[in-house]
Amino acid sequence: MLANLVLSFNCTYLAVLLSFIRFNKHVGNFFSSQHTNNWAVLVCTSRFWFNYRHVANTLSVYRSVKRLGIPDSHIVLMLADDMACNHRNPKPATVFSHKNMELNVYGDDVEVDYRGYEVTVENFLRVLTGRLPPSTPRSKRLLSDDRSNILIYLTGHGGNGFLKFQDSEEISNVELADAFEQMWQKRRYNELLFIIDTCQGASMYERFYSPNLMALASSQVGEDSLSHQPDLAIGVHLMDRYTFYLLEFLEDIHPASKTNMNDLFKVCPKSQCVSTPGHRTDLFLRDPGSVLITDFFGSVRKVELTTDAINLTEPITPVEDQEKEPYSYVDQLPVSEIIHQKPKQKDWHPPDGFILGLWTLIILVFFRTYGVKHLKHIF
Amino acid sequence: MAAPLTLLLIVAVSIRLFLFRSSLVGLIAERVEVVSPLNAWKRVIEGLALLDLGVSPYSGDVFHETPLIIYLFHFVVDYAEITFMCSVESIEIFFCKSLELEADRYPMDCLELVRSPKQMYYIPLKVAMFYLLNPFTILSCVAKSTCGLNNAVLALFFLFTIKKNTLLSAIFLALATYQSIYPITLCAPAMLYVMQRQYIPVNYRWASFWWFVAQYLFMYLGSLSVIVFLSFFLLGSWDYVPSVYGFILSVPDLTPNIGLFWYFFAEMFEHFRLFFLCVFQINIFFYTIPLSIKLKDQPVFLMFMQLAVISIFKSYPTVGDLALYLAFLPVWSHLHRFLRNIFLVTCVLIACSALFPVLWHLWIYAGSANSNFYYAITLLFNVAQILLVSDYFYAFLRREHHLTYGLYLKKKDGSEATLVLK
Repeated sequence: MLANLVLSFNCTYLAVLLSFIRFNKHVGNFFSSQHTNNWAVLVCTSRFWFNYRHVANTLSVYRSVKRLGIPDSHIVLMLADDMACNHRNPKPATVFSHKNMELNVYGDDVEVDYRGYEVTVENFLRVLTGRLPPSTPRSKRLLSDDRSNILIYLTGHGGNGFLKFQDSEEISNVELADAFEQMWQKRRYNELLFIIDTCQGASMYERFYSPNLMALASSQVGEDSLSHQPDLAIGVHLMDRYTFYLLEFLEDIHPASKTNMNDLFKVCPKSQCVSTPGHRTDLFLRDPGSVLITDFFGSVRKVELTTDAINLTEPITPVEDQEKEPYSYVDQLPVSEIIHQKPKQKDWHPPDGFILGLWTLIILVFFRTYGVKHLKHIF
Repeated sequence: MAAPLTLLLIVAVSIRLFLFRSSLVGLIAERVEVVSPLNAWKRVIEGLALLDLGVSPYSGDVFHETPLIIYLFHFVVDYAEITFMCSVESIEIFFCKSLELEADRYPMDCLELVRSPKQMYYIPLKVAMFYLLNPFTILSCVAKSTCGLNNAVLALFFLFTIKKNTLLSAIFLALATYQSIYPITLCAPAMLYVMQRQYIPVNYRWASFWWFVAQYLFMYLGSLSVIVFLSFFLLGSWDYVPSVYGFILSVPDLTPNIGLFWYFFAEMFEHFRLFFLCVFQINIFFYTIPLSIKLKDQPVFLMFMQLAVISIFKSYPTVGDLALYLAFLPVWSHLHRFLRNIFLVTCVLIACSALFPVLWHLWIYAGSANSNFYYAITLLFNVAQILLVSDYFYAFLRREHHLTYGLYLKKKDGSEATLVLK
């Protein structure tokens, strides 16, 4: 049902598009971003029942992203623990993001790609950089290219410069920055939006140095991200504040909306989230005001309409082979000369003074013992 | 006497030749019981190779031999096997020559206890046999450990002491001390022996006593300093002093061997290391004075005891050191009737020698044992040696007692008395 909804939205958007084309307005908007496909990597790094809210955070973003058009095949969802089927869940097979159980973000069609103990720092970095073993299925890979816009959402427990995975390991901001640089070097993204909802989340994007990265965090260094509200029936906090208000914001977005990033930066001001959300746009080449939310959260296909015809019947001339220079070896070591040379060994000889002294002493002792009369026989 | 000796020589040389040419050489040369970091042949050639490359052989922790060894082996490194065999043969020849033992000075009626010249005639041969055919010596020789050379120097020292040649005995004692520090304790028995022969009473009130002591010490220290300075001139540096003497005294290398140092110092906290190092090292020197006071009339036995104490308690003992004092045992064959623990000691020594390679293999290769097993055997081995030495000491003292008080002791009422060591 959701797929139909998505399709209908896409059709609507196309229709709107076409109408715009006819009126030749807003044409520039279409060609403003150079991306052709969208990917999302949504990671919840905490396990245990009391970290219910992190799973709810991730699933909310997952739901929004899917609603806005990114298909499951383009979403890598990593959940470190299974809250829906946790023994302590009084409402099994559900994960709620609102109290009074208003919104079940788990639904019927959640596809978790990395579950439980598979969510490790190594796997996360391997997904980002693409260096996975050949046996990894496609659903677990981030098969992005240089025309992909990627949304990366991380949530869990963090600190100044690190994010805790599974209560046993950490990823540091330097590692993350290097992973993004690897992605850039391999042209695995066109533009990347990084959202993090942890304590002191701003420290995680401090070290980024690759181009086309935009980052948002729920709190500055030294601040804690707080959770929104507990549900007394379930017994745990259901969502974090930042993601709660982000979800509220995203509920108003549809594939055709024109809201840009500047509105996203205003989500959850200090009065609502007790922490100060931060963002970083200095590495981003475009002006954030011209970046649509749907560039990252939705999968809006660009359609290029042309009224000119392209002639495909002319034969294509092959490129002529250039004359290549013959290869030659660099001058090697004159091995044959070397191996036939015997190494000149400098033998060590004891110093002459030593030999003289030693033998004088020996002779003296000899004559002292056996008497001087032997000298007569020698001389 | 010459014929059996020659036969023995031929047998010993042939055994060693046979083993030299067999495949066991590599195996034996690596055994930690036979070679120690101080006298391994591998380290000698390593040091000589370093010297050929222009590097001081004492740089790094490889070479712990004295410079005179460098000088000796510089020329004979290709003929090492022959050198070792010659040194080994010469040892026992010297031993033999030195055993023109003193005539007994006890005109008592304990005729059984007094040894007749006939009994004593074959002792040198027995000593030679004990040394040459001792499996420990054979192993040590085949491994080409310089322990054989140390033993040769000690045997020469012993020879010249018995021959009453003060100068040469002092010189060879200085050489032996120069190689490893411990023979310094052999000064006392040497001095006692020569004083006994020169009829100088061992009494601190007599001027001649002090005069002799001064003479001997002067010769000894003089030759020691000459040798030390000569070795300085060999390489032009004092590098060898921390490498050789520092190494012996501070025991930095804790490779397992048959001694007592390695296990203890492997688990020693750094804070206490110096203290226990001093304790262990003093242990060797400590027995000199009490033993020499007790045994001042029998300096040869004192020398045996000192040699035994040195080879048991030195910092890197090997089986070659063992062989040296084991070779002395036939000299005291007349004490056999008073020995109490000889069976136990023999069994333990044989069992431990058999168990050393077994537990080493289990520890290092099979991984099913650990260092405690090997240390247990080391402990047991040393305990057996100590028991052997103390047993001989007991037998010696008991014989002396019987020589003074008669062999068949009777209590006041005429019944047979037993002698108890208090």
